[in-house]
Amino acid sequence: MKKNRKFRPGPQFYLIPLGALLLILSYVVGIRYIIRNLHSYGAENGETNKHYVAVITKSTTSAFWKSVFSGANAAGTEYNLTLTVEGPENEEDYQTQNEMIARAVDNGAEVIVFSAVDYQANAGAIDAAAEQGVKIVVIDSDVDSAQVSSRISTDNYEAGRMAGRAVLASAQEELNVGIVNFDKNSANGQQREAGFREILEEDERVRIVDAINVLSTTEDSQERTCEMLREHPEINVIATFNEWTSLGVGYAIREMGLKEETMVVAFDSNVVSVGMLETGEVDALIVQNPYAMGYLGVECAYNLINNLPVENRQVDTATTVITRENMFDEECQKVLFAFD
Amino acid sequence: MKKDRTGSRISLSMVMALIVTMLVLAVLLATLLFFIRLYQSSMEQNAVTTSEQAVVQVMNTVENYTKDMADAMKLIAENIGKPEEERDEFFARFLEIRSDVVAVATYDSDGNPLECWSDGLTVKKTVSRNLSYPGDMGERGFWISKPHVENLFEEYYPWVVTISQKMRFGDGREQHVIMDIRFSNIAAYVDQVGIGQHGYCFIEDTEGNLVYHPQQQLIYSGLKEETTQEFRGLPDGSYPRSRVIYTIHTLENCNWRIVGVSYVDELITSRVEHMVRICGILLLLVLVTATLLGVLFSRLFAQPANRLTRAMGEFEKDAENFQFVPVRGTNEISALSDSFGHMVLRIQRLMERVRQEEITLRKTELNALQAQINPHFLYNTLDSIAWMCEEARTEEAVEMVNALARLFRISISRGHELITLEKELQHARSYLKIQNYRYKNQFSYSFDIEESCLPYLCNKITLQPIIENAIYHGIDRMVDEGRIDICIREEEAAIRMTVTDNGVGMTKEQCAEILHREAGDRTGIGIKNVNDRIRIYFGEEYGLRITSELDEGTCVEIRIPKVKESGYEEK
Repeated sequence: MKKNRKFRPGPQFYLIPLGALLLILSYVVGIRYIIRNLHSYGAENGETNKHYVAVITKSTTSAFWKSVFSGANAAGTEYNLTLTVEGPENEEDYQTQNEMIARAVDNGAEVIVFSAVDYQANAGAIDAAAEQGVKIVVIDSDVDSAQVSSRISTDNYEAGRMAGRAVLASAQEELNVGIVNFDKNSANGQQREAGFREILEEDERVRIVDAINVLSTTEDSQERTCEMLREHPEINVIATFNEWTSLGVGYAIREMGLKEETMVVAFDSNVVSVGMLETGEVDALIVQNPYAMGYLGVECAYNLINNLPVENRQVDTATTVITRENMFDEECQKVLFAFD
Repeated sequence: MKKDRTGSRISLSMVMALIVTMLVLAVLLATLLFFIRLYQSSMEQNAVTTSEQAVVQVMNTVENYTKDMADAMKLIAENIGKPEEERDEFFARFLEIRSDVVAVATYDSDGNPLECWSDGLTVKKTVSRNLSYPGDMGERGFWISKPHVENLFEEYYPWVVTISQKMRFGDGREQHVIMDIRFSNIAAYVDQVGIGQHGYCFIEDTEGNLVYHPQQQLIYSGLKEETTQEFRGLPDGSYPRSRVIYTIHTLENCNWRIVGVSYVDELITSRVEHMVRICGILLLLVLVTATLLGVLFSRLFAQPANRLTRAMGEFEKDAENFQFVPVRGTNEISALSDSFGHMVLRIQRLMERVRQEEITLRKTELNALQAQINPHFLYNTLDSIAWMCEEARTEEAVEMVNALARLFRISISRGHELITLEKELQHARSYLKIQNYRYKNQFSYSFDIEESCLPYLCNKITLQPIIENAIYHGIDRMVDEGRIDICIREEEAAIRMTVTDNGVGMTKEQCAEILHREAGDRTGIGIKNVNDRIRIYFGEEYGLRITSELDEGTCVEIRIPKVKESGYEEK
């Protein structure tokens, strides 16, 4: 009896140190969580290192690309990103573009927002960049790579179809069409032409007389268009698919004095082509939304950096057909003229 | 029942811990909610004030700007009537200084353009649609249009607003003077205005048309939407919406309104969320602590206390056979447990002593009783002996006297209670002999004894009262000759003695009663006495059993254990 009365710890008494251990553990975890939380909260406010996004485009000089840049910069400012914007001097120079990609990767770009000069020839450089862990967002013109995270562009087929419908709206009995397209290796130009042809095939009035591919400069397209018009004087409709060729065609029409006889459906807008629309060299402009393209491209880059969900792999920006009649409508003003 | 606490598992300490936890939880939650509410409302108030201040500031600047425009218009009005040369010089100077003025133009009352001045821009030959001409202004003298594209010039399409004023010249002609203004000056200012982290200001007119917005191009590109129509017709003030606070002020001198947009969300929600998260963790910690403390408390105090209570309950139910196992726990519990253990021991010892004393008392009592000799029996026997002597039946008288002497000797047995069966049988034989004389051979008797039983002990005067009962109640009233058979057999664990008579017998009630009735005057020690003594000495499982049938006879069976002389002392 006497022996029994002595204090001997039963199994339940091992629970006390166990419980204490558990308590201390949960406190440590909880307090660490709180501290980390406070820390991250502070970091959120005083962010020091900005993320670097490189925008590499086909060209830098046209109004289209300037608008893209201003959209990209707006997004860059809004999301507090370091942004570089560059492109080759002419729109056929894929080699310079590839060098720019390599340089951007070396400089530590996290995302490259890219518009390809050449669907095939740029693919290698993009794949190499993606291998380094750089994410790729394509705007405007596509590249043949499986590494692209998101594509933001005009629906180029649909834009081509719109150009086609604008042509068919003509009351002429015979539509002899000449096509002035830019570089054959550029994806978007080919898509637009394909869409355009698709619509024209539906109409019996249409005969496609000639289709030429010119350099993406005003001079070359002006010269070659004049040649085409002299060769095929029956042409009364010309379709062309980017800003520079549009200007070239416009100048050619002006040069040959055919603004009454010839219907021109052109792409993109700048002050000159808008002037041509007013004066009659150009009859319809297919206007894209380059500002949105630039903005959404950089926004998408931001989302990729921060692992936010990128909702669409393919974003189509809006396209509008502008004619002389509607060009000063309130909505068309907003599309056509940049607010600087 | 109070004792039956083992069934339910809810203990006081658990309930306490639960209540405390709940209370802490509730208080914390209430406080949290209260403070969040307070914080939120003060932050909201703060946001409204900030927004209000920013908007008023913008409003003053924009008002100055429009006033400036009105002044410029006045200046134009003063100079437009002057001779052509002087006038052109004025406009050249004016447009040079005011770089934000794109063009000044005049129209006649039918809307035909008259003249146009600009800073070196080429006016188009044909203007497809004039966006600057305000149309019929009605009675309004001074008017500001909504933004539009300037399309008067070649290759120059800036966004402008048009300020127009009706003017009447000396010759009665009515003219509209318009001035197209770019936004660059005011825009740079509005762009810089920030409210909170992401808040901003924009300008709209009273119709809800956007005049200037820091992100105008985003809106025009369809990437952003701004709530403008919602505030049409609403008076100035702040309008909190779910995530945004809109602050509106209308300019005094024109139809513009300044709208400030500040985000409640970013100001408050993130911080509140943060606070809630931290408080949630704290709550969790408190909860864990409380639970663990509750368990600890229960283990250390409540459970041992419960075990003690249970032990006490068991002790209450069966004090005699209770075995106390000490309860372990804190000092207080151990002390309680020890005290209880001591108490149990003492009570058990006391109980044992009382029991022993009781038994001793009973024994003494019974011994005193059995020592009494029934006086009637003695008188009658002595009468019989005297009568034998008178009739000179000397031999028989001697035998009677011997039998009587043996009877008394064994009755006394030097004060021992237990005697051997042999002696007990001698006692029974002596008694039967005396009675047989007295009843003049009214009955016969026989002994059937197993020799091996003789050394075992039994209570003295066990058989005699039973035989006495058989004679007085069974045989005395019979007409035929009575018979008493005494038989003793050894069994495995006991000795069985039976006394059978062929007397009148008893009913069952009588059988039961006889074991509980105290002895009367005429009989010696009663059957109850015999039964009680056997039980006191040997235990409850031994004693008498009576079976009887009316007119057939009675059989009394006595069971005692097999105990020999030496054995009993050890017990």
